[in-house]
Amino acid sequence: MRIEKCYFCSAPVYPGHGMMFVRNDCKVFRFCRSKCHKNFKKKRNPRKTRWTKAFRKSAGKELTLDNSLEFEKRRNIPVKYNRELWSKTVEAMKKVESIKNKRQARFILNRLKSGKELEKAAAISEVKKNIHLIRAPHAGQAKQLEDKMVQKLAEDVEMDE
Amino acid sequence: MALYNFKKIMVVPTAKDFIDLTLSKTQRKTPTVIHKHYQIHRIRHFYMRKIKFTQQNYHDRLSQILTDFPKLDDIHPFYADLMNVLYDKDHYKLALGQINIAKNLIDNVAKDYVRLMKYGDSLYRCKQLKRAALGRMCTILKRQKQSLEYLEQVRQHLSRLPTIDPNTRTLLLCGYPNVGKSSFINKVTRADVEVQPYAFTTKSLFVGHMDYRYLRWQVVDTPGILDHPLEERNTIEMQAITALAHLRAAVLYVMDVSEQCGHTLSQQLELFNNIRPLFANKPLIVMANKCDVRKISELSEENQKVFTDLTAEGILVIETSSLTEEGVMQVKAEACDRLLAHRVDTKMKTKKVHDVLNRLHLAVPTKRDQKNRPPFIPEGALLRRKAMETNAPKRKLERDLEVELGDDYTLDLQKYWDLMNPEEKQDKIPEIWEGHNIADYIDPEIMKRLEDLEQEEELRAKAGEYDSEEESEDEEMKEIRQLASQIREKRKLKVLASKEKDTQGSRMPRTAKKVERATLEKEMADLGLDMTDKDDSHYARRSRSLVRKRKREVSAPPTSRTRSQSASRPPRDQSGVRDAKVVPAGKITAVQGCSRVPGEEEQTEISSMLKKVKTMMKNSQKDMNKQGRKGESDRHVFDVKPKHLFAGKRKSGSTSRR
Repeated sequence: MRIEKCYFCSAPVYPGHGMMFVRNDCKVFRFCRSKCHKNFKKKRNPRKTRWTKAFRKSAGKELTLDNSLEFEKRRNIPVKYNRELWSKTVEAMKKVESIKNKRQARFILNRLKSGKELEKAAAISEVKKNIHLIRAPHAGQAKQLEDKMVQKLAEDVEMDE
Repeated sequence: MALYNFKKIMVVPTAKDFIDLTLSKTQRKTPTVIHKHYQIHRIRHFYMRKIKFTQQNYHDRLSQILTDFPKLDDIHPFYADLMNVLYDKDHYKLALGQINIAKNLIDNVAKDYVRLMKYGDSLYRCKQLKRAALGRMCTILKRQKQSLEYLEQVRQHLSRLPTIDPNTRTLLLCGYPNVGKSSFINKVTRADVEVQPYAFTTKSLFVGHMDYRYLRWQVVDTPGILDHPLEERNTIEMQAITALAHLRAAVLYVMDVSEQCGHTLSQQLELFNNIRPLFANKPLIVMANKCDVRKISELSEENQKVFTDLTAEGILVIETSSLTEEGVMQVKAEACDRLLAHRVDTKMKTKKVHDVLNRLHLAVPTKRDQKNRPPFIPEGALLRRKAMETNAPKRKLERDLEVELGDDYTLDLQKYWDLMNPEEKQDKIPEIWEGHNIADYIDPEIMKRLEDLEQEEELRAKAGEYDSEEESEDEEMKEIRQLASQIREKRKLKVLASKEKDTQGSRMPRTAKKVERATLEKEMADLGLDMTDKDDSHYARRSRSLVRKRKREVSAPPTSRTRSQSASRPPRDQSGVRDAKVVPAGKITAVQGCSRVPGEEEQTEISSMLKKVKTMMKNSQKDMNKQGRKGESDRHVFDVKPKHLFAGKRKSGSTSRR
């Protein structure tokens, strides 16, 4: 029993789910649900359909080249069962999984960092240009003048004294 | 000799059916449309075709009947005799003869009328000719009704006759009724003949087949024969006689020792002697049947003598019992052997033997010298033969295990695996973990690679890749962000407000609407300005001082006469009013809609009739005003065909609103 990958969106296809299409040239296509199947029948290119993993990887939105991704690979040489090896593999799988997730998350975070800078600059320019919508230019000036006048008067009084 | 053709004879239809069949066929298969204006040769041809078609059909069908039914002279004399017995040879031949005659007559009729058709000069005449022809043909056939019925019955019975091969090895059972012939045949073959306590249970011949010495044997069961002369025999008995007469078989004469059949032994012996001539050239065995009831040794002296006489003549007597199967096998074996021997003898005596004998030759090699050469079997072969004969199984098969365990058995193929540690054979191997296939990760070097990966990860962590960056933003930046968000919000609200504006309606100048002081002050306060005590400000004060309205003074009377005349007459809107106005002298109040500041003028009483007049005037002007018309005569339509009523498809909704 294997969990296959959907040809279109690269989602896991569990046993008992999805559809399989075998073409005349004996190439097998598995689909996780009818959405992917229908898109395939419409001859859409998964590398250009924005929501698929294929697009994300080809457009550089997700981590593609990394050592942690090399662990999960379809090997054509069968290995005889060995309890020790299998148990160790299961342990290793867990660790690799955690590292992989960390790295993928970090990749995406870094990608979004430059956005933050742009956001800052946009906020500053926005404030500069459109401050008049929330603040009148002379807001608080009357008060300031008054304070100045009061201050001046106080000074005068002091001077007089 | 055509054995199976008896079953393949076509059904003979009754006369009525036959006629209906043929006539309807004629109607369907020949053209039906004809008009009298056609050319005469065409009409003639049309009707000739019909006549010929009908004749052809009759001819074909009758010929088929004639060929299907077997000619009594051509078939094996056994069948010929049998058919004679069953159906009467003469009657049969006569019937077929009649059919033949009918066929010829029909042909002649058709020929004649076709010839006559040449002289038909109109459609009517030709049609009558055809009608006459078909009528005559059908009448001929109607006369054959009896023959056809008889032939149909013969056909049905023929097809049910048992297929007896007269030339092959046969055993024939005969004797009085109820002696046990049918029981015997039931025992010896797979035949299932009815056995009942009354006489003449078996009414016709029955065949069963059995195997002996790798050969097929027929066993023929006959109805019982009674002892009276040949001429007095009925059909049923005649069948038995026919079989006896024609089949070259071994005869098994069955006698009932216990006399349960209702006839004494002497009577049975009488019968035996009477039909003795029929047993000539046939191997004979006498079966003393029902010996379980009474054995020969228990019989009286006279009766026993009967049997001893028979044996003395050289006829084999065997005691049998169909019930206990005693002696049945013996009879079978004896009869078959004797018959085989007899057949071989007969063959030897014929001329054909020499052809066969010439082909048979046993080759014996001549001796080269006096050396003795016995057959030699190598030892290994002998040993292997011995080993094959032992019953010890070589290894325990799965099947044996299955049988041993019964219900608990499960097919466990994992025990055949070849692993490095055999004790792991029964492990349940995991295949999937959290959406990943474990098989994809299996690699003998996985631990090494994992170590490398972890080291790499450590280095990265040390380099600070995974530190969460706290945005050390200063106060200023925070404030700017907050202001920016406020600005965005305000803009959105403004956009929404401007979207709610009515752009296509009439636009009033800004000055048309009065700006409320409260809203102005609130707005400015939101923008941050200080709006307290602004009573003195320019917007809170009146731009113009309140000016009392100048009262209309009584003007000087007009100087010219016309003006004075017009002035003295009451104004138009008061001309019809009967009440006098109750009005303080000297003041002509203007009641036409002038804006009067309330509370500043004195109230003047208006007469009730005047009031009514005023309201009437207002009411009559209401509709006009509501429709925005200048006056009664204004019939101008601003939008003759408003687009929203004339555009679009006729969707749900009534057309009355179109």
